[in-house]
This record gives sequence, structure tokens and C-alpha cells, in this order.
Amino acid sequence: MKYFLSYVVAISFFTSCAQQLKLNDIPIKEEVRNYTIKSFVSNINIPWGMTWLPDGSMLITEKSGDLIHFINDEKINITTTFDDLYVRGQGGLLDIELHPNYPENGWIYISYASNEGEGEGGNTKLVRAKLIENNLTQVETLYKATPNTTSGVHFGSRIVFDKEGYVYLTIGDRGNHEENPQNLQKDGGKVYRFHEDGRIPDDNPFTNEAGAKTSIFSYGHRNLQGMAIHPTSGKIWTHEHGPKGGDEINILKKGANYGWPEITYGLNYNGTIITEETERDGMENPIYYWFPSIAPSGMAFVTGDKFPEWKGNLLVGSLKFQYLELVQLNGNNVISRQKIATDIGRLRNVKIGPDGYIYIAVEGKGIERITPN
Amino acid sequence: MKNPIHLFSLTFFFFVGCITLEKEKNIESNSKNSILIADKQFQEKTELQKSMQRGKNIYSGFCMQCHLPDGKGVPGNFPPLAGSDWLTEKRSESIYVVKYGQTGEIIVNGVKYNNVMAPLGLSDDEVADVMNYIMNSWENTQNQMVTVEEVKAVKK
Ligand code: HEC
Repeated sequence: MKYFLSYVVAISFFTSCAQQLKLNDIPIKEEVRNYTIKSFVSNINIPWGMTWLPDGSMLITEKSGDLIHFINDEKINITTTFDDLYVRGQGGLLDIELHPNYPENGWIYISYASNEGEGEGGNTKLVRAKLIENNLTQVETLYKATPNTTSGVHFGSRIVFDKEGYVYLTIGDRGNHEENPQNLQKDGGKVYRFHEDGRIPDDNPFTNEAGAKTSIFSYGHRNLQGMAIHPTSGKIWTHEHGPKGGDEINILKKGANYGWPEITYGLNYNGTIITEETERDGMENPIYYWFPSIAPSGMAFVTGDKFPEWKGNLLVGSLKFQYLELVQLNGNNVISRQKIATDIGRLRNVKIGPDGYIYIAVEGKGIERITPN
Repeated sequence: MKNPIHLFSLTFFFFVGCITLEKEKNIESNSKNSILIADKQFQEKTELQKSMQRGKNIYSGFCMQCHLPDGKGVPGNFPPLAGSDWLTEKRSESIYVVKYGQTGEIIVNGVKYNNVMAPLGLSDDEVADVMNYIMNSWENTQNQMVTVEEVKAVKK
């Protein structure tokens, strides 16, 4: 009898709701607040990207289009000339990063949803520009994904530089998972790699593939809104919004296929099955997946000496559960998870500031700063 | 014997959960909400149905991530649309929210929300379509269809 019942349980696990259960998951621990969280820049509706200039002042993008310079406790609106800005659904003014040699060359990299080019709608664009006396000038387009579509979802988009000076950009599948993520001739559902000026590196993985978008570095992604360089290995870590129950953390390999939508742990939002497969030869498995989905946005490794206990671990924002998650690592394995900033609000971005403190961007609030007690 | 019984009820629970899901799926695809509007003029019926069908696509692309497929939202974070007193009692305010977004404190079904719904960038006809969808889905009903003119008239 006992065996029979376990058998029934097993069958029901694996057939009726197979992918909506995660056995042996690492439970998230409740917060132990031995640090202080305080508002740093207030009243920003959707703070999407943030970075620091060498003088310690901050640049913040607001999704509706404002570029904010926070200097001497004052918010200054930078004048931009993004006439093609496409604010719709998840699209708008997105990420911002400085060139690693910013003090010498002054380049600022920005991603946004743009309606430039043919067809109704928009798609993700990467530009670089310079900040001169509260004006963003000398704007150069480095990449514009095509085609434009009126879909309001999955624009990506994060920007990072690796240690060799390449710039990476993420673009989500734009809601078209049938056509985009697995097709190298199409934009969307990809991570891209460029030289600092937008040229395609000769050793990008698909430069010899006929018809392929040669800017692609990896593919088979859904919607990546977190990307960070590992402080010691230099590898690029990303996370992506999966479907229901399938948000992933991945470590990028050149030319690799991350499987969306052929393999996933998630289901459609209405609970229907996308695919029965969670792994396949030639496709990468995530190092961790979240069940239930946390809707991750923003990603940073803890560096510096302000939080010695957290050093080397990963911070990820949760839009859905409205906290910051500390993902503790042993090498490439997730060994524990801990809530920080419980119930703070939709957490859009996280970074370690030049002062070593943790900065979080919270929707409806602005930027908050976490300092040890 | 205690454990197996627990396991059994667990199994039962999963089965039932999944069966319900299947059922909902079928209802959704078969009836397309025709019951709800059976007492309307024929012409209006098709107009409304067409609008709701377009609205359903808008809903899954622009709203579902927060208000969820069942329109119930997330308690404390995202207010419900299914059975929302705000939606039934504040028609033009609801149109305003969908057209321009909403921040700050609002009370829905007696529960306080203080969160952000960013402007979604929908066109006026898309706002009308999604309004018709949310006002006639789940158990919600309305007497009068939302028109593009009505949406146009809601100014910032
Ligand atoms: C990013 C999450 C998000 C998205 C996407 C979103 N909403 Fe909302 N919505 C909210 C939040 C949060 C509130 C309450 C805002 C507040 O606290 O002031 C709200 C409030 C509302 C309200 C008024 C309150 C109620 O429950 O009746 C309506 C109507 C509404 N949303 C409809 C929609 C529709 C239609 C869409 C898609 C076109 C949509 N929302 C997309 C988060 C969202």
C-alpha cells in the first residue's frame, strides 16, 4: 500500500504538474536586518539604470525618458535628444553604463526602446554619448535591433563591459518566442557583444555563419534584465525572466544556446505547458532557476570590504516579491538564499557604489542605500 | 499509515488543481464570454466581442504580469481587476489609470495600495479594447461598452 501510494504521488508529480514543482529547492531565509536602508535619491517613478561618474555623483535613467544627474543632493535633468524613444509597456529609457576608461574618453552607454527605422512599434537600441554641461551630446548609434514591433514586452536590456573592454547588451525575445530566440538571423532573445565603438569583434561566434547576426554572443534567451561580471573569474553572469516558474541564472559561454523556448522549467502564465523538456544536448542548463518566479531585475556581485560576510555573493532584485535577494555561492553553485530589504517595493536594479555600499533602485521610490550598522 | 494518507491527499490536491486548470482553459476558449453579453443588441454584441478579443491580447502583453491571468492581482502589491469596486464604480478614473498610469495611494475593495503602475503607452483604441476586456472578464460585467471617443475625452 505504502509503495503504491508513493507511486501515485510520483506519477502525479511527473505527469499532471510536472514542471511546477521543484523538489529539494533552497528555501529563502527571512531577513536579519543588521544594516540600515535609507532613501538616497527620492521621487523617481521607475529608476531603471544607474551608474556613478568619477566625482561620485550619480546618473539615473527613468523609464519614461528622464536622465537624472544626482549631484550635491540635487536632481538635475539632463537634456537628451532621443526623439525615437519608444515608451510602451516594458519599453522606454533603460540601462546606463560608463566606459571603463571614462575619465579619458567620456563615453556613456545607454540602451533604450526606439522606434527608429521602418515599421510601426519599436525595438531595443544601444547608443553611446557624452555628457557636456547637462546635455547629452555626440550621440552615436551602436546597434538597433529589428524589426520594430508594437509588442510591449521583453526589450531586455542590460549593458556591461568585460575585463577585455568588450561591451555586452541583452535584448529579450520581444514576446515572439516562436521566431526570435532560436533564430540567429533574427534579433531578440540574445546577448550581443561589440567593440566599444559598436564594431563586431572578429572572434564573435557567428561571424562565419551565413545570414547570422554577427553581433550575437549567445542565444536562446527570454528576457534578461540582469547581467554582471564575476569579480574574480571575469565571466559574464546573467539572469532572465522565464515564463511562470522558470526564471534562470546563467553563466554565459560564447556561442552557447540557453534553450528558450525549446527547454524551460517554466509554464505559460495561464499554467499551460510550453515544452515538456528541461534539458537537451547542445543547450545550456541554468545554474539555478527560481520556482516560483521572482521576476528578477538587476544583478551585482558584492565587492569591496563593507559587507565582508556577503563578499563574492550575488545580489538580485525581485520585482514580484519586492525584496533584494542575496544568492550565496560556492563556486558556481547556489548554496543559500536570503531576503534583504523585505517589502521595499518593486526592486528594479542593484549595484555596489564606488563607496562599497549597496544601492538599490525601487519603483515608486527612487534609489535607496544599504549601509552596515 | 499516517504518512501515506498525507501523500494521498497531496496527490489528490495536485490532480484536482490541474483538472481545474484544464477546465478553465476550455471554458475560456469555447465561450469567449458570449454568455455575459447575451442580452445586448446583435450589432453591439459583435462590436464588443471584437473589442474584447483585441483587448485580451493587450491584456496578456501589458497587464497580466502584474494583475495576473485571473485578474486577481497580488494582495498588497497589485490590486485586483476581477471584482474590483474601483473598476466598476470609477469608470473614467479607471480609463485614466490605463491611459496614463497610476501612482500613490488608492483603495480597492477596502484594501490600501501604494504602488506604481507606470504609463503603458497604449493608443486610445487599445485602451478602449483592454477596458472592454477587463470590464467583461472573470465575473465582471458592464452595461455600456467603452468607446474610443470616451477614452479620447479622458485628459491628463
Ligand atoms: C507593473 C505592474 C502593472 C502593470 C503592467 C499594470 N498594472 Fe494596473 N495597477 C498596478 C498597480 C500597482 C496599481 C495600483 C497603483 C497604486 O497603488 O496607486 C494598478 C491599478 C490598476 C487599476 C485601478 C485599480 C483596480 O484594481 O481596479 C486598473 C483598472 C488597472 N490597474 C488596470 C490595468 C490594465 C488594464 C493594465 C494593462 C493595460 C495594467 N493595469 C497594467 C500595476 C500594474
